[in-house]
Amino acid sequence: MPEEVRKQTNEPQNILEMRGIEMQFPGVKALDGVDFFLRAGEIHALLGENGAGKSTLIKCLTGVNHKDAGTILFDGKEITPTSPQNAIQMGIATVFQEINLCPNLTVAENIFVGRKEFKRKIINAKARELMQRFHLDIDVTRPLSYYSTAVQQMVSIARAVNIESKILILDEPTSSLDENEVQLLFAVMRELKAAGMGIIFITHFLDQIYAISDRMTILRNGRLVGTYDIGEINKLQLVTLMVGKDMENIFDLHPVQVAPDAPDTLKAEHLGAPGPVADISLEMKKGELLGFAGLLGSGRTETAEMIFGANRPTSGKVELKGKAVVVKKPFDAIMNGVAFCPEDRKRDGIVGDLSIRENIMLAVQAKRGFLHPLSRAEQNELADKYIKALSIATPDAEKKIGELSGGNQQKVILARWMATQPDLLILDEPTRGIDVGAKAEIQRLMLEMCKDGVSVIFISSEMEEVIRCSNRIVVMRDGKKAAELTGPFDSETQSKILQIIAEGGEAS
Amino acid sequence: MSVRTEKRQSLLTRIMNPKYMMVYATVIIFLIIYAYGAIRYGKSGFTTLRTFVNFFTDNAYYGISAVGMTMVLITGGIDLSVASVASLTGMIVAYGYERMGISPVITMLFSMLVGIGLGALMGAAIHYLNVPPFITTLTGSFLARGICSLISRESISMNHPLIDQLAGTKITLYHLVDGEWVKIKPITKIDMTVIIFIVMIIAGTILLQHTRFGRNVYAIGGNEASAKLMGLPVGRTKIAVYAINGFCSALAGIAYVLVVKSGWNMALLGGELEVISSAVIGGTLLTGGVGYMVGTMFGVLLKSVIPAIINFNGTLSSWWGKIATGGLLLLFIVIQRLVVSYTERKRK
Repeated sequence: MPEEVRKQTNEPQNILEMRGIEMQFPGVKALDGVDFFLRAGEIHALLGENGAGKSTLIKCLTGVNHKDAGTILFDGKEITPTSPQNAIQMGIATVFQEINLCPNLTVAENIFVGRKEFKRKIINAKARELMQRFHLDIDVTRPLSYYSTAVQQMVSIARAVNIESKILILDEPTSSLDENEVQLLFAVMRELKAAGMGIIFITHFLDQIYAISDRMTILRNGRLVGTYDIGEINKLQLVTLMVGKDMENIFDLHPVQVAPDAPDTLKAEHLGAPGPVADISLEMKKGELLGFAGLLGSGRTETAEMIFGANRPTSGKVELKGKAVVVKKPFDAIMNGVAFCPEDRKRDGIVGDLSIRENIMLAVQAKRGFLHPLSRAEQNELADKYIKALSIATPDAEKKIGELSGGNQQKVILARWMATQPDLLILDEPTRGIDVGAKAEIQRLMLEMCKDGVSVIFISSEMEEVIRCSNRIVVMRDGKKAAELTGPFDSETQSKILQIIAEGGEAS
Repeated sequence: MSVRTEKRQSLLTRIMNPKYMMVYATVIIFLIIYAYGAIRYGKSGFTTLRTFVNFFTDNAYYGISAVGMTMVLITGGIDLSVASVASLTGMIVAYGYERMGISPVITMLFSMLVGIGLGALMGAAIHYLNVPPFITTLTGSFLARGICSLISRESISMNHPLIDQLAGTKITLYHLVDGEWVKIKPITKIDMTVIIFIVMIIAGTILLQHTRFGRNVYAIGGNEASAKLMGLPVGRTKIAVYAINGFCSALAGIAYVLVVKSGWNMALLGGELEVISSAVIGGTLLTGGVGYMVGTMFGVLLKSVIPAIINFNGTLSSWWGKIATGGLLLLFIVIQRLVVSYTERKRK
């Protein structure tokens, strides 16, 4: 593996050349002499952990932030984008992770608002054509809010593509898509690439990078690590370059040993609700980690919500710690020692304007009831304890949680539920959208909790994580429990799970 | 044959587009109440064309103002100054002629400029200074009402041939009986104020549905941050919307002068709430992004048809009208919530 920083050379087919970009934020140098070169007709992955400078680099290019030093050559001419609008006009289109469209406008209006095409008939016809290119047969005259997040994401890409742009920036476009939709998006990306567009692709999913990219540029701590052809380095080397540590070390995690005679924490029999899930039976021992694998929408989240009382099951019964309980609402579950970290951190998890301390206190206080408030001293003690235990990167407990990075926000939410001292902790996609280092830390924390006798249900789309940490794995498919695998797991497990998801049958 | 059924299906899906649901709800409720009146009081003249035209006449000045208000609400804003600006317009016109001898033509044009200017000013404050619309327009309302009282604290009645002529301009409706045009009985006349109202509704519809400006208005109401990122002229559009609303307020003030032929500093007190509730009953979402002029028109009609029924009944206290309107408003807010949560549930 090359040790020195790899500089790119000047090539005639470069559509974009960013040289020596520097960007200073108060107290931190976000970009320090970064070079980035994009060829026409390539998909170029931009990689790095949170805070590595990916977003800042993109923001400099799209005019959201203004660089302090360096030059940007676009099509051979030097440019200084002043605003997103300005960048769009020059031919640099961006699709953000959050969908930046208007839910009340129709699909067609969303694609064309602000463009020269205006008449309803024309834009409807053009939008239909465009969506068909994306293999989506939808009614473009319906309001955008009528459609799923995945479709909305496709519409926002359609809008970006429709601008006669030469560069398309996709910032985490796949985080809300399932496997089929990702494939659809990749097909469109390949088409655009063939048409000569330069695509910058940002994602946390390493598999997707290898599936679609031609080259990759890695950043770390605001500096350029290097640019590589996709075949040049493997996944392990890539992560090592991103993290700056050896991946073998950071992911040296193993499932916790569970005593065979440990008492049951959870026993669910024939849980079901019409629509999402049917006939789920689960059993968990104290200190066990149960992984949930399956595709998005296969019923993983819905099952967890039924146990937590956010969704009422219409059939089946639940036993917690050997005692039959009726969980009608989340509060009942909390009182019985169940904790649930929901999937959408931004929407269901954090209260952005409250401090870290207040965010940690929320669940504890709810459990105690408002008549038994925690004193400020107790709160401070508790907050400091978890900030230290989880190594949350913050100057103090009074910082607003909204100002933390994704990984640190996730740790605060973990702390919130750990503080309630649960017997059963359900984590729904706790590692989504956070960087590799933080992922490893979250997983280590889960395993430590298991050691302390907490039973953990771990839901994740990233199969490697599930396999690495779980004692047992439940594979979900179409709202049913397709299989249950018992560890220890080996290198074959992943293909076995994939096979079950694909074919639905119980693997032999 | 198959082509035809296909076309019919597409028409049906077009009609059933969820974005029109609120307007349908307003129209249906209007029809239900109208049908009730027709059955109960059909014999005493509820079903005549004159009664129907009176629905327009009764609240025409609120209707004119509601055209601008609908646009403001669609952007996600609100304007509490409309009634004060309308009152100020009346005062300018009346004081201008009676005390200073200025022709109403000039004072009317001047008050329109005042309306547009004040609207644009408030729009600019809302957009550039980030003051919530509620506060900004409340301030604007106090300002307009204050100037009004400064001009005169008593009612000034006015007498000018132009005003009389405008107020007297009516279109009498005829119908064909045995090949001859005769006046509809009972004699039905359309007032100048109603003409202005209908013209404004049509103009508003064209502006909202068939111009870039209109689409930007909807986009801003849907998600202002997104609209900005999509490169739409958010500031310009918002200022224009408040300016247009200021113009509508002034026009409503002129229509009001035509009805009462006077200027008074306390005229139309609380009228802004009538205007806002008309738009909301017409299916405009207070959270922005949704609303149609046709809906607003039916909202105004609904506010006329209820007092009409109480009038025809003859024994009920007129305050039942307020209670019914309040109930209706509540009903609509509930329906809006249901429609919104339905579409949210619909998407998977």
